[in-house]
Amino acid sequence: MSVIKAEHLTKRFGKKVLAVDDVSFAIEEGTITGVLGPNGAGKTTTLRIILDLVRPSSGSVTILGHRYRELRAPAARVGALLDSSGFHPGRSGRNALRVIAAGAGIPDARVDETLEMVELEGAAKRAVKGYSTGMKQRLALAASLLGDPEVLILDEPANGLDPEGMLWLRTFLRKLASEGRTVLVSSHVLAEVEQTVDDILIMSKGQLLAQGPIRELTASTQPVVRVRSPQAEKLEAALVSSGAAVNRLNDALAVRGPSAAEVGDVAHAQGVALHELLTEQPSLEELFLQIAGTRREQ
Amino acid sequence: MIALARAELLKLRSTRTALGLFIVILVVTLVPLVLILALVPKDWLGEEGITQFLTTASALVPLVLLVFGILGMTNEYRHGTITYSYLVTPRRWQVMVVKLVVYLLVGMVTMLVAMALVYVAILIGGAIRGVDIDATGGSTLGDYARQLVVAGLVTTFGVALGALIRAQIITVAGTLIWALFVENIIYVLKPAVGNWLPFVVFNQVSAAQMSGDGMEALTESALTRPEAFLVSIAYIAIVSVAAVFISLRRDVT
Repeated sequence: MSVIKAEHLTKRFGKKVLAVDDVSFAIEEGTITGVLGPNGAGKTTTLRIILDLVRPSSGSVTILGHRYRELRAPAARVGALLDSSGFHPGRSGRNALRVIAAGAGIPDARVDETLEMVELEGAAKRAVKGYSTGMKQRLALAASLLGDPEVLILDEPANGLDPEGMLWLRTFLRKLASEGRTVLVSSHVLAEVEQTVDDILIMSKGQLLAQGPIRELTASTQPVVRVRSPQAEKLEAALVSSGAAVNRLNDALAVRGPSAAEVGDVAHAQGVALHELLTEQPSLEELFLQIAGTRREQ
Repeated sequence: MIALARAELLKLRSTRTALGLFIVILVVTLVPLVLILALVPKDWLGEEGITQFLTTASALVPLVLLVFGILGMTNEYRHGTITYSYLVTPRRWQVMVVKLVVYLLVGMVTMLVAMALVYVAILIGGAIRGVDIDATGGSTLGDYARQLVVAGLVTTFGVALGALIRAQIITVAGTLIWALFVENIIYVLKPAVGNWLPFVVFNQVSAAQMSGDGMEALTESALTRPEAFLVSIAYIAIVSVAAVFISLRRDVT
């Protein structure tokens, strides 16, 4: 059963801004799905449409079979982290959660539980204005868990987290998924969620470019030949003229199109020395570039 | 709805806004009162004019409550807490209606406290100065009730304005300028129009001082109290319905 089902979602802000353009997708139960794309791709707007905070210009979306506003006790079914700034700075972390819990009819004991889950119990009585960005993110995560929901919608949860915090978040999301929850998580840092998600939705400029299990998508795309050379510019020019698509990655070239052997042949013909030549499955970032590039060409 | 009301009350208790409101009310009511009680010659204190003046020490409270109502709503947008309010209660009209009702009651309770403070302060001040002052200033129970109702309505009016405009500074400054200056200018220049303006109407419901000596020219076209009360309710209803309607349609981005 699809936990979230969006059909032909479109959202215009005014006449000029098309934030979401005819997006359709389905999120399956018990999966972690990443909504990936650069800033301005329409990820946040899409998530807010799911949660009925933003009204679509056209199209529809259901969550757990209903529109969000039609859910009974929505906090107990869907938890959301939309940004870490949704707290009054003068309120303590605990009171910020108590306010949300009171509105949802959730007892204060659950507030303390969620604060423990996100390891914020020590700072619970401090005003939110004294929290670091990472602490605010954890507080927002605690808010999303107050109702012990079966679905979690998290918008850029790793924003402001240090590497230790990112590791913590990855482990935490995996734990949530292992409990059978469905998690929809957006990020503009593709590498950040690569190790966490099962399925992905790739968005750019309001459009959904691709969706599916991450392994299937990466397997269906062209492998990338990574090559390092002290004469990278000369090699790049030769490869481009032979019809290959080349991206520069620091001191290496990521080549799509020819095989490793063909790249080696081009280098040999040009008299270019190679320091490294290997074939690898594309990373999410490379996958995104391929898909976005393909769309542009179309 | 009860859970939402609890959340609203907790919002008020868990920040310093309510404490700040209380301090401002103490200042605007008690400071002038104490100064008059302390500095006015003893012989004057028992006179009717002074007594009436003392008992209107809480007249500025509705203005503070108006700002309090505006802050109560605009802070939700300013700090983004409205997102959680709508996530927990996606039927937005419920969020708005509960907020309007809670602030109506809080406004009335605050006014009651302010009036009690004034009453007690006059009694204590009179006792210290050795003068027997009528701490009610001749006000009837009905006068007090009207003041309470207007305080509640003005607070609700502030909430509704905050929902309509959202920008905190613009709403607070604009409303105060309108209430303190623009309406008064229109009221003096064109009483027939001024008597229908919202804050003039609120005053007509509550303030005994509007019908004092020398006010005949201005009050000639004034509404009767029942009329003013109905117009006040109409203002609140229109602004509140508009606030709920806009809240239903507004994107929370």
